[in-house]
Amino acid sequence: MRHVRAALARIAGFFAGHRADEDLRDELQSHLDMETAENIRRGIPPDEARRQARLASGGLTQAAEAVRDQRGVPLIEGALADIRYAVRALRRSPGFTAVVALTLGLGIGANTAIFSVVRGVLLRPLPHKDGDRLVYLRHSADGPARSNIEFSVPEVTDLRAGAPSLAGIAEYSPFFFTLHGDKGAIRIDVCLVTGNYFEIMGLAPVLGRLTHPGDDGPGVPPVMVLTHRFWMRHFGGDTGIVGRQVRLGSKSATVIGVVQPAPSFPDPVDALTNMVLSDHHLSAAMVLDRSHRMTEAVARLAPGATLEQARAEIAAVFARMQGQHPEAYDSTAHHRVAAIRFKEVLGERARLTLWLLMGAAAFVLIISAANVANLTLMRGVRREHELVVRAALGAGVARLRRLLLAENLVLTSMGAILGGIIAIGGLGLLISLAERYSPRANEIRLDGVVLGFALALAALVALLLSFVASLPREGAFAAWIAAGGHRVSGTFRSHLLQRGLVVAQVAVSVVLLAGAGLLTRTMMELADVETGLVTENVLTVPVPLFDPTRLDFASDGTTKERYDRMRREVFALPGVVEVGLGSTMPLRASLMAFDVAAEGKPLAPGAAMPHADLRTASPEYFRAAGIPLRQGREFDTTDQPGGARVVVINETLARALFPGEDPLGKRIAFRSEVLRFTPFSGDWRTIVGVVGATQDGGLDAQPRGVVFAPYAQELAIFGGLVIRAQGESDASDLAATATRIVRRIAPEAPIENVLTVAQIKDQSVAPRRLNAALVSSFGILAVLIAAVGIAGVLAFSVSARTTEIGIRMSLGANSGRVQRMILGEGGVLLAIGLALGVVGAYFAAGVIRGLLFGIAPHDPTTFIGVAVIMAAIGIGACWIPALRAARIDPAITMRAT
Amino acid sequence: MAEKLDVKQGTLALMILRTLEVLGPLHGYGIARRIEETSKNRLTLNYGTLYPALLKLEQEGFVTAEWRQSENNRRAKFYALTAAGRKQLAREAREWHRTADLIAAFLAPRREAP
Repeated sequence: MRHVRAALARIAGFFAGHRADEDLRDELQSHLDMETAENIRRGIPPDEARRQARLASGGLTQAAEAVRDQRGVPLIEGALADIRYAVRALRRSPGFTAVVALTLGLGIGANTAIFSVVRGVLLRPLPHKDGDRLVYLRHSADGPARSNIEFSVPEVTDLRAGAPSLAGIAEYSPFFFTLHGDKGAIRIDVCLVTGNYFEIMGLAPVLGRLTHPGDDGPGVPPVMVLTHRFWMRHFGGDTGIVGRQVRLGSKSATVIGVVQPAPSFPDPVDALTNMVLSDHHLSAAMVLDRSHRMTEAVARLAPGATLEQARAEIAAVFARMQGQHPEAYDSTAHHRVAAIRFKEVLGERARLTLWLLMGAAAFVLIISAANVANLTLMRGVRREHELVVRAALGAGVARLRRLLLAENLVLTSMGAILGGIIAIGGLGLLISLAERYSPRANEIRLDGVVLGFALALAALVALLLSFVASLPREGAFAAWIAAGGHRVSGTFRSHLLQRGLVVAQVAVSVVLLAGAGLLTRTMMELADVETGLVTENVLTVPVPLFDPTRLDFASDGTTKERYDRMRREVFALPGVVEVGLGSTMPLRASLMAFDVAAEGKPLAPGAAMPHADLRTASPEYFRAAGIPLRQGREFDTTDQPGGARVVVINETLARALFPGEDPLGKRIAFRSEVLRFTPFSGDWRTIVGVVGATQDGGLDAQPRGVVFAPYAQELAIFGGLVIRAQGESDASDLAATATRIVRRIAPEAPIENVLTVAQIKDQSVAPRRLNAALVSSFGILAVLIAAVGIAGVLAFSVSARTTEIGIRMSLGANSGRVQRMILGEGGVLLAIGLALGVVGAYFAAGVIRGLLFGIAPHDPTTFIGVAVIMAAIGIGACWIPALRAARIDPAITMRAT
Repeated sequence: MAEKLDVKQGTLALMILRTLEVLGPLHGYGIARRIEETSKNRLTLNYGTLYPALLKLEQEGFVTAEWRQSENNRRAKFYALTAAGRKQLAREAREWHRTADLIAAFLAPRREAP
């Protein structure tokens, strides 16, 4: 109590300041007066009396100081004084201050912005209750596009029964519906979930209720839970939404609640519904067939259970399953189940890119801190005189160090403020980057932790900077003072340190530039990938007429009539060369893929059966899309239902099935377990043509095998229009008119993603472009800072050696020689930095291998190019101080000394 | 002449409190005089010791300070004991006696070793 009171009094005293000082002065004066009066009373003459009074009481000033120390908080007062002094000193060198604050601002800003993304996407705890207990189960097998083949319902049931370490497993199946409302038909992404989903996930409603096991199975009312994001965006956060009926395709569902904001995997969704909304999800195929895999699984660890236990149990159950049901597992494909923490799985696509950017940003900060250290060193040498005077006046090493620290803190705080502004500015761009890689992008924000990170960076840099400046050891002051202010060259140690920092800057810049070069080349390579289409004047219009809520194949005839009407009307538009019908649109992944067998060709033992996408195409489709015919014929109007079953395959599949043979006339058939539950038959089909391969899985993916069936002979499930236009601009101009026609004929269909081939290509390249642009801007920034660093150090060296150069010149060295000398000095630093940088880049490139495409991580062209650019800029930076050295007039410098 | 002693802060606080208890409200000069007299001039107090100690006692709430006219019509800052100060004085005096007894017992002439 007493201490609290005293502390409060002290803090109050700290603010009382001026007034309290006056009071003290009066009090001490009255003391002195009384003492003097007493002396006079004793018979001492007044002057002598006053003198003795002063002597007896000790110095007035010291006393005042002692009282002041007792009154306030001396440490803070000292620090404030230091900071006031630092601000004054910095104001005297505005150029230095501006350069340092800007450099640090860029470094701290880049780090803060990227850290906020890393934190939001990778580090923040999940919003789910006990989110670290959530485990994502991934079923994968060998083969292309089989890294995540999902689970079948019977598989999940077995896992649930056999793994007691899992408190429960929730099933969810990403799907899509057409939502009909005031705003017309829109496609919404949904998850069909089991009733235990929200409980397992640990999510709470913000409105209404969530699903529970009573919502499972057939015959229950269809219900829908909105995600927070969709509720805000589409329904404007309307709290009256609970209980409302909405139309989903041909069914209707009741909105029962809104769930708290939380990421979903693999992609953000708009709503979650119970299974009853999709006929397919309650069909025998879905519920009973072990090889019909359309279900994702997330589990929650039982209390006390560890992930390792769960992994062991899952492996055991899965091995047993494979033994009991050999027909559902391709023994050659090495089926396996991995249990991964949900948080990790959410970050897996973003991880490499984000750490790359974080590393690049850290490098920029290192370079800027090195630069500031150099500037501080040089300034420190110029200020030696000032420091000597201060030391002579009694400031100890600790005191000088504190002064330096105060100055550096002021500098880095300015940097941190600037950095904060830069981070706020860049955040929007980074969030749009993160959205491509992570479902957690909406969790990115500049919060207290992120700002704390920026401040911690600033404080750390300030501390480091305060200790690079060379101060003499305690006790060595005398020598220092004796040397006085004439020694402007600084010590050898600080020279070495400066040079070392320049070398480090060059090396780190080379690493960054190399990364930037590789990523830029990757982007260019990707943009150059042939799509497989002979033209880019193509517009694709996906028109989903099939209602995914119902397994209704009877209406296929009417559906096809409507597609035909769209085709005719669009074909009549000016500028249209050809219109094809088919599913799926070219350059888009197909949702249907099966194993394919060739007649009379038994599989070699151990070989996996080739896998191919099923697509349908009208006779005009290939010409409209610009897919080149390699062999045989396209489909004909005679390929009608009831006619001979014919197919066209692409060259990828032809090579896989019939290496070195003519595939025309051979017969193939689909052979997957799952086929029994689809409307597609496993009949033998005759190959009548071979077409070129197209990049349907994205520009950076291997082309996939494709079987085209005649549009007329199969169901039009994911159909759409492929429109070939006269010119490229026509293709995009047609988008609006074509969409209008399609909407008129099919008002209930959500028409989205009407894209030209060029736009589809761009979607594939865009994320890489942003990557490359970010790393490149870091690289350029680093090089600029490093260039300033080299120039600064050399300029400083020249000014310190003015006298020496003067002497050299008066002894006969001409200006060319002096210039070469300085250039040589810079060149050595540059060369060492380059060598180190190339070695560093070699290792760094290995780390980012996974982000590259079409280019080797140690691509010699890139490396040489980077070295040449760095060397050129470096030499340029050396040139300016070298020229200045060459212009030194010996007569003037000699006289000045 | 007797050796002059420096005053330790804690002891000084005790002396100040005691002085104020005996003499009532008093200014700094008076306190210093009184302590020097009581110590038979073996102690000297300069401002640098006395005034911080007074301020500390004031911050702790053991004394109050007030500007007043002194006996010979000078303006001076008078310090007065508070109730808390009185309690503190009793407590410290008790402790001091205890410590003094203890030390005295320790330093008592040694008996012959057995």
